Amino acid sequence: MPAIASHNSIMAVKSENAGEVARSNGGSTPQKRRLRSDAAAVENMSPISTPMKLKPPRRCVNSSPNSGANGIEMEINEKLMSARKSPVKKKLCDSFKSKPNWNPQDVEQMSAVREALHVSTAPSTIVCREDEQKKVLEFCKKNLEEEKAGSLYVCGCPGTGKSLSMEKVKHYLVDWAKEAGLQQPEVFSINCTSLTNTSEIFSKILLKLQPRKKLNGSTSPLQHLQNLYSQKLHSSGMKMMLIIADELDYLITRDRAVLHDLFMLTTFPFSRFILIGIANAIDLADRFLPRLQSMNCKPLVVTFRAYSKDQIIRILQERLMELSYIVFQPQALELCARKVAAASGDMRKALSVCRSAIEILEAEMRESVSKMNSASAEQGLFDQQAASAFEFFNSQVRVDHMAVALSNTFKSPVVDTIKSLPQHQQILLCSAVKFFRGGKKDMTVGELNKSYMNICKTSLIPPVGTLEFFSMCRVLHDQGVLKVGRDDKLKRVTLKADESDITFALQGVRFFRNCLQ
Amino acid sequence: MGKENPAAEKASNLLRSRLCDPNFVVKHLSDSPDSNYSKLKFLVSSSVTEACNNSILLLGPRGSGKIAVLELILTDLLLEYPDTISVIKLNGLLHSDDCCAFKEIARQLCMEHQLLFSKMASFDDNSQFMIEMLRECGLAHKTIIFVLDEFDLFAQGKQRLLYSLLDAMQSVTSQAVVIGVSCRLDADQLLEKRVRSRFSHRKLLFLPPSKEDMQRLLEHILSLPVDSSLPHAYAVEFNKKIKNILADGRFKEIVNTLVNLDSTVNHLLRFLFLAVSYMDLESGFLSFENFKTALSNSHRQPKLECIKDCSILELYILVCLKRLEVKEQNSYNFNSVMKEYKSIHDSFQTSDYYSRNVCLRAFEHLLQRELICFTDNRGYSQSVEFRPVKLLISSIELHQGLKSYCSCPVILLKLVER
Repeated sequence: MPAIASHNSIMAVKSENAGEVARSNGGSTPQKRRLRSDAAAVENMSPISTPMKLKPPRRCVNSSPNSGANGIEMEINEKLMSARKSPVKKKLCDSFKSKPNWNPQDVEQMSAVREALHVSTAPSTIVCREDEQKKVLEFCKKNLEEEKAGSLYVCGCPGTGKSLSMEKVKHYLVDWAKEAGLQQPEVFSINCTSLTNTSEIFSKILLKLQPRKKLNGSTSPLQHLQNLYSQKLHSSGMKMMLIIADELDYLITRDRAVLHDLFMLTTFPFSRFILIGIANAIDLADRFLPRLQSMNCKPLVVTFRAYSKDQIIRILQERLMELSYIVFQPQALELCARKVAAASGDMRKALSVCRSAIEILEAEMRESVSKMNSASAEQGLFDQQAASAFEFFNSQVRVDHMAVALSNTFKSPVVDTIKSLPQHQQILLCSAVKFFRGGKKDMTVGELNKSYMNICKTSLIPPVGTLEFFSMCRVLHDQGVLKVGRDDKLKRVTLKADESDITFALQGVRFFRNCLQ
Repeated sequence: MGKENPAAEKASNLLRSRLCDPNFVVKHLSDSPDSNYSKLKFLVSSSVTEACNNSILLLGPRGSGKIAVLELILTDLLLEYPDTISVIKLNGLLHSDDCCAFKEIARQLCMEHQLLFSKMASFDDNSQFMIEMLRECGLAHKTIIFVLDEFDLFAQGKQRLLYSLLDAMQSVTSQAVVIGVSCRLDADQLLEKRVRSRFSHRKLLFLPPSKEDMQRLLEHILSLPVDSSLPHAYAVEFNKKIKNILADGRFKEIVNTLVNLDSTVNHLLRFLFLAVSYMDLESGFLSFENFKTALSNSHRQPKLECIKDCSILELYILVCLKRLEVKEQNSYNFNSVMKEYKSIHDSFQTSDYYSRNVCLRAFEHLLQRELICFTDNRGYSQSVEFRPVKLLISSIELHQGLKSYCSCPVILLKLVER
């Protein structure tokens, strides 16, 4: 049993570490921190952190820069799919001969896993977005070569990798320009949420273009730019500029002037910049830039679709590939990917769910360690053997951990809170539900009070006074379950929580079940 | 007698200071390993030690101890990791405007790190400053903990503050933890979709304590320490009496009545404070009657007490107003009340028929006592008789008040019941 034997050796180390883990990690933190700062330093030196084959795209026409990685991944994927069928842990371990199980009590391993799954860790290669990146890259390359201006609009739901891909495109483009012997373009990326005034974007662009020239007070930055680009004299000899504007919909004002002007700048005859706008709305270009279509210079639209289940699994595996041990059961990853893909296809959510599943496993291990520590002191060696087998069984993140993490993320806390409300507030909600079943939209507080008193009378519970009733309504309003109008002539009350949620939450109590039938 | 008094007073002071100190109660409630305290502490301390970013939302009704637990955790963490944490506190009631919020963040950061803060810095400068401070603190391995109280109020408007904070946490260089505290259960549904995508969906629910926990808490709060400066025999006797009261069935009923109305810890503490204030300082012990008085005093009905003090004519006027309201007239004033009063007198031949001037005096009394009020804010030029009024007391309260009135005319009860 090679796998378990190797795990036993880890167990020997673990028994030393267990004491350490119980104390606060004073000693090991500086080492971890140093690792992190080293990583940061390395990153700063070489912004293109892809250690692998960045073949200049010109040479490989049919393959994207990530093709090398993809080939290896396909193999591993197939292995995983075949290994999924076997239920016994030992067989699973044997199929990944090179990768042992992880030891969740090893602090270094835990922090490495956490870091690999953190949203802020930009992966070295971006998988599943090769087509989109290629499209954008080709557009930019074409415009750079011809020294023409152009605009591009990148859209998609949040968490689909737009900003990340644009960062990579930026670096690729600069390198490519260097290798192709063209003049390197200036790159200016801005997040439009940081602008107080939407027209500030023009002054910022101007500042980047001509950092030393002082602005003439009479012309606005926009006019200045427009002048610059409509005359050949000024613009020849200027570098091409690549502008990446993130969260473009913050530039939309009532008269839509700023957005329009920004895109129109690319249509000037001697304009020299390539504009890439990123936003969530798919039809932003159609709705807010109608004039551009009539001039036949509509921006190219690249849609980043929401991730599918397979893509999510691939991305997660890509992140975990760098680690030399297995953390997740494949079924757990698949469950996570399925649920997230069905809900929104947002990669950040998937990563967050995986991290909370790890925390659940950690909490479980801590509890079981404390139990074992108290039990094994009495019963000696026999239990220790059972304990080691037990720990081995527990050391991967299983489907039930993932299920708990998913329910924590996707469940709303309304049902739990209603279950734990005090009795009179539950009766209040019950009476509101009964009243609104009749089809009315809202009611006054007085009517609600009457309905509440009726229910209390039928069940011989003494009702609370009016003052307390009003304060209960207020408390429920604060929690977002009920909606009570301001101090109008007659305060109107509407139910905000879903009726089925309330019925589900209260079904455990027979009294409410009968009441709500 | 004289010997007991200073001890009783000291005991009363001790109990009351305990009840006013949130830390005392929260510490007791947070002892178990799966309490919210330990979960939150584990999350924040692991974010600090592993230098990764995290965000979490604390949800629960008002008075359930969210801020108390958070404060306890922050003081503990500041002791454990003295130089690696700085705490920035914002409140949604004060700083929901983005400019104010960034200014406040910049000011608190400047205070923490002893930099000069300029009030004239613009919004741009402040946000740049925050991002740079996050980066610097990340390189220096310090974590900044942002506490956003009344989180749902930050989610109004363009949510720029939330977006910048959560977006800054997506980069590797910053180390921050964002803790949002809200009483709205759907606080994360209020976020825009791109802000929600950056938020890590961790929610910690603060539910009211179970009955056993409540019992243990009561005992813990009300028992005097035996080895303190209080006389030993007195403290032991006090604790014994408390144990007897707590085991009494009637006391459990009182607690049940309280909890059925509002099960937050805060509510219970206020009740206990009232009870301890009623402690008889001569005998120096808490008795069951103290708790009963406290209960009846915390469930007051001011409007009913008001009605008990009204005269019969005033009751007539109230009933007339109620009938007018039921007839769904849009607005009524003193003249319409007089008409109704006359019609009642005509149909039922009551003996209580007073002249117009006397009724006007009674009407003004009701206005002063705020059982009725004017509905318009202008019209000071008009006299009292013509201005529209409305009732400030509901029909149920009126009904109850009439029933408990000692010599209420039967006709009034009949009229209200219809």
